Amino acid sequence: MNNLWILNMGFVALLIGTGIYCLLTMKNLVKLLIGLEIIAKGVTLALVASGYARDNILVAQSLAITVIVVDVAVIATALAIIISINRHTKSLDVRKLTKLKG
Amino acid sequence: MHLFLMIGLVAFSILAVLSRDLLKSAICLAVASIFLALVFFKMNAVYAGVFEVSVVAGLITVLFITAIALTRGDQEVAESRRHMLIFPLFFLILIVIDILVMKKLLGQIPAIAGSEAGTFGEVLWNQRTFDLVGQIGAIFAGVLAVLALFRQGGKSHE
Repeated sequence: MNNLWILNMGFVALLIGTGIYCLLTMKNLVKLLIGLEIIAKGVTLALVASGYARDNILVAQSLAITVIVVDVAVIATALAIIISINRHTKSLDVRKLTKLKG
Repeated sequence: MHLFLMIGLVAFSILAVLSRDLLKSAICLAVASIFLALVFFKMNAVYAGVFEVSVVAGLITVLFITAIALTRGDQEVAESRRHMLIFPLFFLILIVIDILVMKKLLGQIPAIAGSEAGTFGEVLWNQRTFDLVGQIGAIFAGVLAVLALFRQGGKSHE
C-alpha cells in the first residue's frame, strides 16, 4: 500500500460522491446520465489505480476497457430512451414521468 | 503533476454537474475524460488511456451532443437553486470524511500476491476471454436496444 494509491482512491471517492449527488438532486434526464458517467469515471480510475499500486496494470487495464465498453452501451441505450421520452412528453424533466405512478 | 491532473479531473466533473447549459456540461465531461486519460498514460495504462480518449471523450461526447441537439428547445428544466447552493457544503463534508476514513479503510484491504508477466494482448486474450465475449454481447445488446427504440418512435409518429 502506498501513498499515491491512497491519494488516488481519495479522488475516486470524490468523483463517485459528485456523481451520486448529481443523481440524487438533478431533475434533467441528460444531467442524470452525466452523473452516471462521472461515477463510471471514478470506477475506471479505481481499477487502474489499484492495478498500478499492486503491479497488476495489465489485468486492471483489461477490466477498465470492459467497464468503458459496457458504459458506452448503457449511455447509448439511455440516450435513445431519453429521446423517445422527449418525443412523448416534450420535456426532459424527470418529474413529468408519472405514467406508471400508482 | 499527478495532483494537478486529478484536481482538473474532479473540477471539470463538478463543472459538468453544476453547469446550467447542457452543451457546456457535455464539453466539461469530455475535458474531464481527457484529464483521466492523461492520468492513465502517467500510470503506464496506455490501452486504457487510448480507450478513454477515443471512446469516452470522443464517442460519448458526440452521443451526448446529438441527443441534446435532438431535444433542444424542450430542455428548460427548472433545477432547484437550493441544490446548487448546498453542493459546496456537501463537497466539503465529503472531503473531510474522505481524509478521515480512506487511509484506515484501504489499510484493511489485503495485498494481491505476485506481479504479472507477458504483454497486454496475452493477458486480454488468455485471461479475460469471457470479458471479451461479454463486451461483444453488451455492444450487440446496445445496438439492438437503440434500433428497437427508434423503430418504435418512428411508428408512433406515423
